[in-house]
Amino acid sequence: MTSSLHVTFRVGTAEYAVPAAQVLHLESFETATHVPGAPSYVAGLVQVRGRVVPVVDLRARFGLPRIDHALAHRVVVVQLGTRVAGLLVDSAREVIQLDDASFQDAPELIKQQANGFVTATVTVRDRLFLIVDVPRVIGQEPAS
Amino acid sequence: MSDDVDLGEFVAGFIAESDELIATANAALLDLEAANLAGAPRPRAVRDLFRALHTIKGLAGMIGVEPIVELAHALEGLVRTADRAGSALARDAVDVSLRGVSAIAERVRAVAAQRAVPPVPAELLDAIAVAAGEVGRPAARAPAPGPTAVDAPGWDAGLTPGDRQQLAAGWGAGHRAWRVSFAPSEASAARGITIASVRARLGELGEVIKVLPRATPGQASSVAFDLLVASAAPAEALARAAATTVDQLVELIAPPAPPAPELDASEPAEAAPRDDGGAMLGRALVRVELARLDELQDQLSLLIVSRFRLEREIAALAERAVDVRALREIANLQGRQLRDLRRAILRARMVRVAEVLEPLALLVRSLGRSAQKEVRLVLDARDAELDKAVADRLLPALVHLVRNAVDHAIEPAEERVARGKPRAGTVTVTCADVGGNRLELIVRDDGRGIDRRAIAARSRRAVDADADLLDVLTSPGFSTRDVATRTSGRGLGMDIVRRIATGDLGGELAISTTPGAGTAFTLRVPLTIALVEVFSFVCGRQTFVVPVSSVEEIFELRAGQDVQPPAAAGASSPVRLAERRGQAIPLRSLGCVLALDGGADARKAIVVRRQGAPVGFTVDRMLGRHEVVVRPVDDPLVKLRGIAGSTDLGDGRPTLVLDLGALVAERPV
Repeated sequence: MTSSLHVTFRVGTAEYAVPAAQVLHLESFETATHVPGAPSYVAGLVQVRGRVVPVVDLRARFGLPRIDHALAHRVVVVQLGTRVAGLLVDSAREVIQLDDASFQDAPELIKQQANGFVTATVTVRDRLFLIVDVPRVIGQEPAS
Repeated sequence: MSDDVDLGEFVAGFIAESDELIATANAALLDLEAANLAGAPRPRAVRDLFRALHTIKGLAGMIGVEPIVELAHALEGLVRTADRAGSALARDAVDVSLRGVSAIAERVRAVAAQRAVPPVPAELLDAIAVAAGEVGRPAARAPAPGPTAVDAPGWDAGLTPGDRQQLAAGWGAGHRAWRVSFAPSEASAARGITIASVRARLGELGEVIKVLPRATPGQASSVAFDLLVASAAPAEALARAAATTVDQLVELIAPPAPPAPELDASEPAEAAPRDDGGAMLGRALVRVELARLDELQDQLSLLIVSRFRLEREIAALAERAVDVRALREIANLQGRQLRDLRRAILRARMVRVAEVLEPLALLVRSLGRSAQKEVRLVLDARDAELDKAVADRLLPALVHLVRNAVDHAIEPAEERVARGKPRAGTVTVTCADVGGNRLELIVRDDGRGIDRRAIAARSRRAVDADADLLDVLTSPGFSTRDVATRTSGRGLGMDIVRRIATGDLGGELAISTTPGAGTAFTLRVPLTIALVEVFSFVCGRQTFVVPVSSVEEIFELRAGQDVQPPAAAGASSPVRLAERRGQAIPLRSLGCVLALDGGADARKAIVVRRQGAPVGFTVDRMLGRHEVVVRPVDDPLVKLRGIAGSTDLGDGRPTLVLDLGALVAERPV
């Protein structure tokens, strides 16, 4: 069957993957400009190649404790339609080919617990990847 | 050159000047090419070209960039010959000249980047020399002014009236004329002896009137050159210069003819313009680096800040019941003068769009050639002008659009003819001031139009609406590879076009396309980059800016100047009241409104008006005043009331631009 490229990254203990087609580039992360009033999982604004994009802190989004920013932290810059946003992750290294056939629907319990952020799981040689629903993660819900 | 000459400044001047001269040379060459097609001589273009090359040569010589000197010199020789040949350059000569000018430009860029300047390929110099030898022939229209008695057969036909006059002038000056032959070989090339070096060395001994290439079948080198030289130097010296022997020289003997006027670069700008190209002559022009205009603007900003201080002092005096009417009158006058000054500086930054678009002509020419299509570029910018900074950002977008049009939109000539279209495709770039400080640029082609079905199939979304089509085309990385045939997809680079037009410049981009008839992209951009004057300040350890225009005043809150009126229990952001010139001004802590850490005991008050009534926001401290470019912050995640956009204060990080007026009504978060 067909396969597609995915960018993988780590948040907490889990490994995640997003379709490479949605990823513009990876950036290192120093600091973001705090945006007062934005949802708590918005780390702030960063300037990426001349454009100002909001960064979603996936630790905050996934309900994990905040940690001090480390050198390994990356911003995965994603594009959906006209929207461009960054995903702040603990580390991001790989681009891998994932077989479409190897995708398994995430267990219902996980889907519920993960607030729909995870749509499927893929196992590649003993490694488990959770497929992230990017539109949902950078969701359209209005700011509080 | 002595050490105390500021070479750095000189080099900067050289680069700036060369850029313009290169543009002039290219424009003249394109003009000459058009002249070839029209069959009309263009003495003005030849002269412009010659002067540009001559000046480049002089400038490059002053800073010692030998490869540029060498190239400019060789091209100058070619142009000199063209002038003698009746002000025309054959197509091949135009080609090789454009290559030469582009090689000069490449080396100027190397100087600018402080890289090593690459030597000139011998092949290019030879090509220029060959072109110089051939340039006269097709254009030699006028009959010789009189009988010439060049007694070497084979020369006569190749000599133009200009050559004959030059030859005659040489004889008139008591020089002897020689035919010097040179056959390039690998061995001579290895010793650095090329037709260019031979020509240069002979040029030092006398005047090289003509270089004629000659096919030499069956010999080691398939081409040899005959150089016609007028010189007072002994034959041995000439032979040495050409790496040959005296017995290989042939002297040409003829009676003298009246001398001809020389083409001279030091000649003052045309006393009587020879054609209609004199528009630029009447204008006094000064070249200024953009950085200097920026500096001017910075100084103006400081002036505006000190004016604010002056006004504050006047207000303070007035509070103490001092009569300040005269002072205030002067301050108001000064305010108007500052506004005028600001406008004048903005005007100084304006450049003519027609000049900005000039490089596109060269682009279309070379693209058309490599794509083997016939493409005509029509530029119509009338008298439109725009800010140099906008122009610099805009040009790459236009280059992308024009490139796409030539590469992908314009059909090959046969296909066009089959469709009943003119053989040559047309790309039109028009520009017009549409009012409201905006400029509209349209890049239009009469090509095949965009295949919506193909785009829809590839993007898997409907693109019936123009806006949707544009959206898909300008998605990063989108490229209709299956539709496109050449190096780039139709959409490639379109994301850059959109980013420039809408992101960097705060403008708009639109598309309209008709199958079989062509596509038009419309860019609307501000004449000047929307520079907004802002105050920067710190609140709760974070830096923000607020537009100067929205600020009524800024004052320091003295102890006891503000009071805490009654508030409902639990209000997180109580409103205080401050007395200011007999008026009670409600005060809110910006730190509280924005839920920032700290900022609770801020003592600087920024007063804005909300529906006519003043409201103050307290912040920790004021930082300064800047002119900045404001970018929209419109992602749903961060599109919040009170946040007008984002700017960069020079640290590469976004700084929020606040709309304090909108925060007045907002409930405490």
